Amino acid sequence: MRKIYMILSSVLLILSGCNLRVLDPKSQTAKDQSFLVQFSFALMMIVFATVIVLFVWFVWKYRQTEENKHKIPEDEKGNRLFEITWTVLPIILLAVLAVPTIKITYEISASSSATPPNAVHIDVTAQQFSWTFEYQNGVVQTSELVLPKDRPVVFHLNSDDVIHSFWVPKLGGKKDVIPGKERRLILTPDEVGTYQGKCAEFCGKDHALMRFETIVKTQEDYKQWLQKMKQKIE
Amino acid sequence: MTFYLFDRSFYIASDVLLAYITVILSGAALFYLITKANKWPTIKKYVTTTHHRKIGVLYLLSATLFFIRAGIEALIIRIQLAVPENDWWVFQGDKFNEAFTTHGTIMIFFVAMPLLIGLMNVAVPLQIGARDMAFPYMNAVSFWLFLAGAILVNMSFFMTASPNAGWTAYAPLSVSTYTPEAGNDYYVFGLQVSGIGTILAAINMIVTIVRHRAPGMKLTRMPLFPWSTLITSFLILIAFPVLTIALYILMFDRMFGTQFFTGEAGSPIYWQHLFWIFGHPEVYIIILPAFGIFSDVISTFSKKRVFGYTSMVIALAIIGLLGFMVWVHHMFTVGLGPLVNTFFAITTMLIAVPTGIKIFNWLFTMRKGLIRFTTPMLFSLGFIPTFVVGGVTGVMLSVAAADMQYHDSYFVVAHFHYTMIGGTVLGAFAGIYYWFPKMFGIKLKDTLGKWHFWLFVIGFHITFFPMHLAGLNGMPRRVYTYLPKDDVFIYNFVSTIGAFLMGLGTLAFIWNIYQSFKKPDYTGNDPWDGRTLEWSVPSPAPEHPFQPMPLVKTIDPLWEAKRNRGGKLPEAESARSAPIDVTSWQPIGLAGMMMVFSLAFIYHQTWLQIIAGIGVLSFFVIRNLTDEHVRVTREEENE
Repeated sequence: MRKIYMILSSVLLILSGCNLRVLDPKSQTAKDQSFLVQFSFALMMIVFATVIVLFVWFVWKYRQTEENKHKIPEDEKGNRLFEITWTVLPIILLAVLAVPTIKITYEISASSSATPPNAVHIDVTAQQFSWTFEYQNGVVQTSELVLPKDRPVVFHLNSDDVIHSFWVPKLGGKKDVIPGKERRLILTPDEVGTYQGKCAEFCGKDHALMRFETIVKTQEDYKQWLQKMKQKIE
Repeated sequence: MTFYLFDRSFYIASDVLLAYITVILSGAALFYLITKANKWPTIKKYVTTTHHRKIGVLYLLSATLFFIRAGIEALIIRIQLAVPENDWWVFQGDKFNEAFTTHGTIMIFFVAMPLLIGLMNVAVPLQIGARDMAFPYMNAVSFWLFLAGAILVNMSFFMTASPNAGWTAYAPLSVSTYTPEAGNDYYVFGLQVSGIGTILAAINMIVTIVRHRAPGMKLTRMPLFPWSTLITSFLILIAFPVLTIALYILMFDRMFGTQFFTGEAGSPIYWQHLFWIFGHPEVYIIILPAFGIFSDVISTFSKKRVFGYTSMVIALAIIGLLGFMVWVHHMFTVGLGPLVNTFFAITTMLIAVPTGIKIFNWLFTMRKGLIRFTTPMLFSLGFIPTFVVGGVTGVMLSVAAADMQYHDSYFVVAHFHYTMIGGTVLGAFAGIYYWFPKMFGIKLKDTLGKWHFWLFVIGFHITFFPMHLAGLNGMPRRVYTYLPKDDVFIYNFVSTIGAFLMGLGTLAFIWNIYQSFKKPDYTGNDPWDGRTLEWSVPSPAPEHPFQPMPLVKTIDPLWEAKRNRGGKLPEAESARSAPIDVTSWQPIGLAGMMMVFSLAFIYHQTWLQIIAGIGVLSFFVIRNLTDEHVRVTREEENE
């Protein structure tokens, strides 16, 4: 019974898509990205539907049959008006898509370069094949990242060896972690919960195992946790 | 697996051992069958040939072999990923990484490229009324250099040193600090050697198309496959030298202690720029010829000229041009700043416009036509919706901020398989079914062709569609396992089933080739009621196809002749003298020597480097002393 339930729920999962992590955002950045995903998808469905309708229509209507098989179709070079139509309409469609693209790309980049006053700073070090997180008070954690809700977090990303990529699908991202130069990423989680984090850039043998848990706590809980960890190392 | 010999223990992984056994047994069987059928003279003919059709066949044959190898790797990848936390055979960690690295490298460089270059070799000279490629000897050199490079990359597996840094070989993972084994040296030298062959092939194509068209065949009357070949060749000529440089620098970093991609002064980003300045045009290099094939096939089987010929050519050119201006869309997550990211987002979106023009022109070619569902046409029809899916996800990926979510996830894997299988592979299959009569004088079986098409295309969608969703659910690419709580099991499981359907489709194709030779359907010159010049010459195309030389007065000259002149093409009074065909062992010898030269570098044998280097150079001297033009002129003088 449990098995049937599992299979059914998997089928539903395929059909729905609303549980997909990228489309279930838990920060403003991820929400913006999720919006772009859905907006571009909707626009593109117009194109896709147009092509499919014409495709099915033409293939069906103009197929060779027993009656018409000796006919020679009329010669036709092209049609200026039609060709202008399918040049101009896509340009308009893409212009509509370009506006939010530019806006949100700039917003995400701008928020990564400025430092908000109440930000939490976390030094992230990637190495083959694990993540280390160092907090401002000296607490160091491996493979587990704890974040406060509703406060901007500035990640200072550094790599000890090859290129990695920092990715928490539900919080947005991702940002490559490149040896030799620090990179920054700012995210503001807005919901308490536990989210998956992964290395997204292929980095060698156990790239698949280079994961971490992201735990978002209320600001109160976060403070307590940080103090508890601090006491532990002292 | 460890075994003992002469009191010493040797270790060999069981997959390599199995591959050795398979290759040795099938090699022995092949040797026996060739000897029994007395086919060695035929093989000798092909090895020493400089004729465009035979070289084209060699390209296609080797591409098919590599397709099978890299396809088996795809199945291995899919089996390992079928269920979460799988522990199948040896394919975890490095073994898995090697499998996807060689899968990608071989599929791009040694399957997609030779499939298309092979079809160009077979069809382009015949379509434009040329009597051979402009430089037949160089054409053979191109092929054998390509094969030498391909064998290098393929043999790495048997030397238990497969490349393992991904087909993109990102530094610093690909430098010797992190991958000291010989694997990535095989990658560097394999691509370098075959790259030379590709550049030579491009030069050859350009000169052939510019100089050897039949009288009256203006560029504005040229079929679209030669057009796409011409534009592709220019792309190769610009893009491949960048790869050459990148590989050169990587070789120095790996072997001679330089630090271009690491350290204080160097940067790993340089590799990404160089690789993608090559890599993105490369994507168009392998899609534009497929567009050309579809244009010719759709026009033939709709019994109509291609709709909007001029805009089709302009679209090809614009795609080629824009292809050089989009490479940073592979690097949106590097952090190059919003200005750079949005600029490349916009240029990427723009490519959708000429591509859209082509799609609509194909649709309107069929409109008011008479569509025949032959196997090549089926592949072309399968291409349109499939490629449009790849196209719309391409536009979605161009949205820079959203790409930060898609990047390096299975969404990207789905996207580029939709474009490359949906475009290049379906195009190559369409081309093979379409021009098979010109290659061998026989048609491939239609019923088996339909089995091939339906199994392959349905399997394709089952394999790759779920990957979009796996990616959106946070599955990074190039992972050898995942956890049950990732909720990507069902997508992966469905993918694996689809992959095996595609495998069945490929088996149907191979069975089809076997059956078609066993019970041949001989066809005349013009099995498809064709429109272009290649269907006016005998099948298979002879050494001197155009006697007399036709005079081209319109686009689709054969179709026009069949409508208005009782099928007889007007004759030209004079024609450019044909390139001189020779038979020569030199091309294969040169390529063999290049392979030895590369191996000497891969295994750091200085003495062998010197000997093989001299060997390679001596081929240039030999060639200079045996130029066939001298011989032919002398013979003509003596007459």
